[in-house]
Amino acid sequence: MNPQATSPRRRSLMLGAAATGAAALLQPLSVLAQGADEIVIGGSIPMTGVFAFAGVGINAGIEDYVKIVNDAGGIKGRKVRYVPEDTGYKVDVSVAAFKKITSQNKVNLYYGDSTGFAKTINPELERNGSILMAGASFATELNDPKKYPHQFLVGPDYTEMFGILLKHIAQEKPGAKVAFVYSDSEFGRDPIDSSEALAKQLGLSVPIKIMTPAGSVDVSTEVIKLRRARPDYTIFHGYILAPIPEFITQGKQQGMTSKWMGTFWTMDSSTVMKMGADGDGFMGVMPYRYYYDTEKAPMLEKIRAMRPEYQSTAYMQGFLATMLFLESAKRCLDGNKPLTGDNLKAALNSIKDFDTGGVIGVPITINGNSIPVGRVYKADMKAKKMVAASDWIKL
Amino acid sequence: MRIGTLKESYTADAALFDSRTQHAWLALAAALLLLFPFIASDYWLYMACLVAINVASSTGLNILTGYTGLVSLGQAAFMGLGAYTVAIVQARWGTPLLLNLLAGGVVAMLGGIVVGIPSLRVKGLYLAIVTIAASFIAHFLFSNFGLTGGTAGLSMQPARLFGISLDTSFRLYWLIVPVMVLMLLGAANLFRTRIGRAFIAIRDRDISAEVLGIPLLKYKLLSFGLSSFYAGVAGGLWACFFRVVTPESFPLSMSIFFLAAIIVGGMGSILGGILGAVFMTLVPELLKLVFDWLPGGSELTVFLSPVRLIVFGALIIGFLVFEPLGLAEMWRRTRRFFHLWPFRN
Amino acid sequence: MDWAFLFEISLTGIASGGLYALAALAFVMVYKATRVVNIAIGEMLMAGAYLFFTFAAMWALPLWAAIAAAVLASGLLGAVIERTMIRPLLGEPEISVFMVTVGLGSVLVGLVELLWGADQRRLPDFMPSQPIMVGDAFLAPKVFWGAVVAAVFIAAVLLLFRYWRGGVALRATASDQGAAYSVGINVPRVFSLAWIASAMLAAVSGIIVGSIGGISSSMGVFGLSVLVVVIVGGLDSVLGALVAGLLIGLVEALAGAYLGGEYKLLATFVVLVAILMVRPYGLFGTHEIERL
Repeated sequence: MNPQATSPRRRSLMLGAAATGAAALLQPLSVLAQGADEIVIGGSIPMTGVFAFAGVGINAGIEDYVKIVNDAGGIKGRKVRYVPEDTGYKVDVSVAAFKKITSQNKVNLYYGDSTGFAKTINPELERNGSILMAGASFATELNDPKKYPHQFLVGPDYTEMFGILLKHIAQEKPGAKVAFVYSDSEFGRDPIDSSEALAKQLGLSVPIKIMTPAGSVDVSTEVIKLRRARPDYTIFHGYILAPIPEFITQGKQQGMTSKWMGTFWTMDSSTVMKMGADGDGFMGVMPYRYYYDTEKAPMLEKIRAMRPEYQSTAYMQGFLATMLFLESAKRCLDGNKPLTGDNLKAALNSIKDFDTGGVIGVPITINGNSIPVGRVYKADMKAKKMVAASDWIKL
Repeated sequence: MRIGTLKESYTADAALFDSRTQHAWLALAAALLLLFPFIASDYWLYMACLVAINVASSTGLNILTGYTGLVSLGQAAFMGLGAYTVAIVQARWGTPLLLNLLAGGVVAMLGGIVVGIPSLRVKGLYLAIVTIAASFIAHFLFSNFGLTGGTAGLSMQPARLFGISLDTSFRLYWLIVPVMVLMLLGAANLFRTRIGRAFIAIRDRDISAEVLGIPLLKYKLLSFGLSSFYAGVAGGLWACFFRVVTPESFPLSMSIFFLAAIIVGGMGSILGGILGAVFMTLVPELLKLVFDWLPGGSELTVFLSPVRLIVFGALIIGFLVFEPLGLAEMWRRTRRFFHLWPFRN
Repeated sequence: MDWAFLFEISLTGIASGGLYALAALAFVMVYKATRVVNIAIGEMLMAGAYLFFTFAAMWALPLWAAIAAAVLASGLLGAVIERTMIRPLLGEPEISVFMVTVGLGSVLVGLVELLWGADQRRLPDFMPSQPIMVGDAFLAPKVFWGAVVAAVFIAAVLLLFRYWRGGVALRATASDQGAAYSVGINVPRVFSLAWIASAMLAAVSGIIVGSIGGISSSMGVFGLSVLVVVIVGGLDSVLGALVAGLLIGLVEALAGAYLGGEYKLLATFVVLVAILMVRPYGLFGTHEIERL
């Protein structure tokens, strides 16, 4: 081994690195930043990574609603502050962000980015006791007020979404055959078993359930299996876009006559439009109105005034989550109760026939952890829009 | 300048820490470790626990890859084995925590030995691919076995040690850090013994080692077993820390993270494992701080994740091109500078 | 036993195996010449697909120009990678260069996310969409044409290696660098050539894979299956890439059809381990002789 003199360049590089490290470490041996009487909304937001398109929309939605409330004077004079952190849709980054935000601020409301995070953070949340949480997940397991007393879903859970679709199918074509195509992930597997049982109850049959491995490119074998089952309807779940267009294209080429349907995360207008001509008539369940819906909706008009370009359904989700957060906070403060997890949840559950200003088309009631309301929309490729194909269905 | 470090007995010569200055520094480090939880915020305690778990796992990987030369991309899978074992055993039988951790380590060790069996036939990067295969098979088992809760995973109650429930980062620190220190001392001691020297011989030239009378299969399996034991215990600690274990918790990218950690830190030295794990765990946090600091607000946070990926990759490439012996070598150079000062060489 | 079903599945499996074979070819190209295991092959595929997306969809160039431009740009990327990251590590242990490609993969994913965002996108359609029927069995056109392209390229590479001076120089450098130097072969240039060719093949493969499954920043996962194909076929065998590609495609299709989607990857990896135990250097790989 040749002994080398440490060149001056290397030495200064090392000293620089040491200095940065020291500076970083000395930073927060911190103190809780407490704005006098603020309402703080913390967020683990997936602004980058696989869920980025949703994360950016959610972030914008929360910011906008907070702005609307603050411009109107806040909640009973208290200003609302939103503290987000990017997580890249990774659970441990999400948890770290939660710990960081809650150690630097007194957080009352929190938005989480995934099912995994919601489940992981639950014990922490219970120990903390002063936070009400919602998130981007619609997992069936979270819809359990006993196990997850301080969390709620901003819409129907995945099983309820399937339920809305199956109800619609049973009305349109009783006794139909419905195939399920889902991804090999927790997100994908979530509603499958319970939905199969529900389908049987409604008199429908499920001839085949196909699970595709995560990240699979070629689905030709799965399409062949699907074709042989001859379903009247095919419901996709657990995907955002891929591999749905391939299924539809190859299915149509092979002469399948099935109608194609999807669940919440596939149903954003820009996503469906990417399916091209083959995606015409693609249906799915959506609990919110779309940005461009022309039915009377004061909140939609406000959103359109604030943001002239199209906002995704993820934006709507973040917007509505914040609306429900702040409504719960308001009801708590109206009753002169301190902002604890229990009180906030109780306030949330007191929401009956609440008008969301048109974000959801009917007044909503939150009895447990979810909002089991939705409408079936259909893709109209000529107009490049999603149009309503059913009434608002409540479960 | 260091002078006069002569030894008068074999035991003194083989000691891990031999000079008074080293003892002083060690005492300082121990004092810092003891004081840290009382002065740090919750966030930094969280980071410290995470770093400690990563150090433990990296040390295990270092034994296998740095000292025995068997490249492995399965470290995360073995951690998963340990984590699931601890979660299942605690939920079903309620046995004491330390026993659970040991059980986790043993199950992972058995898994490691099974994965190591091909190592007699298959060498070098082919073996690395076998470990990737093992990692996928483990993921498949975790997702599809009823015992492991399928894709939803398992959640566990906070572990109890001496009757205290370990549910805050502060309390977990007192479990994780001592276990980590024990594991580090174990690894350091390993390389003063015959077994450790056999590992190094296998790394340098395994055919020569066999000629010298070292039974290859036995020692390779031992190396796999030991390194996966470390991974299993680290995985058990991970399970106690996060309290939820899912098949997605231990992806291939985590194995790559550990491999990167020991490369950046310096393969083949315990200090390298420590430095690498600390560095690689803290770099994303440092990046976040830098981003918070830059003007531009939340527009820039969209770029944090890709920048983090680029920095991760660039660090690996940079260290391999410019400093192949890693951070440990940079440290040794600094030490040498101070030892030899005021002389240059 | 539903023979028609089996036939249909097998046909699809073999055709999609052609895609694997093409990507495996890119990998083998690099390994043959420079002994580097390029685990970032999936990410280079992705880079090629995204470059095509930029030229075809964002800049609206005519399709053939876009493909050519993407392939050339990819080749340039390959040259840059070789010069900056691989050349300085000549002579270092295998594991170091392997880890450099791991780092490279990470950097490429980060760059793609930075420049194009992390959303999934679809590539413009350019392949004929008439379904291919073999008797009663249906074959998706994209997969079929992808396999055709792969076969064409593999045949071309096999011929080039046999008859073209550059190909022979590549084989010479692969078997003995020192000897190649001494007969006057410009070894560094051969290295660059190998990486450029590999990157261009990866780009073609990426465009085809992307037009089937869409492009996203996590497309690189495809590289893992390619790695399996290459190991099974033999790290330095072009014929092995073809045979193993078809084999793995077939295994995946059969596993997916008869066992279920979650068994696909498992089956592939079990095949991998089995083959490695019997033939540790792959089906057609050259047996390495270790000298003390």
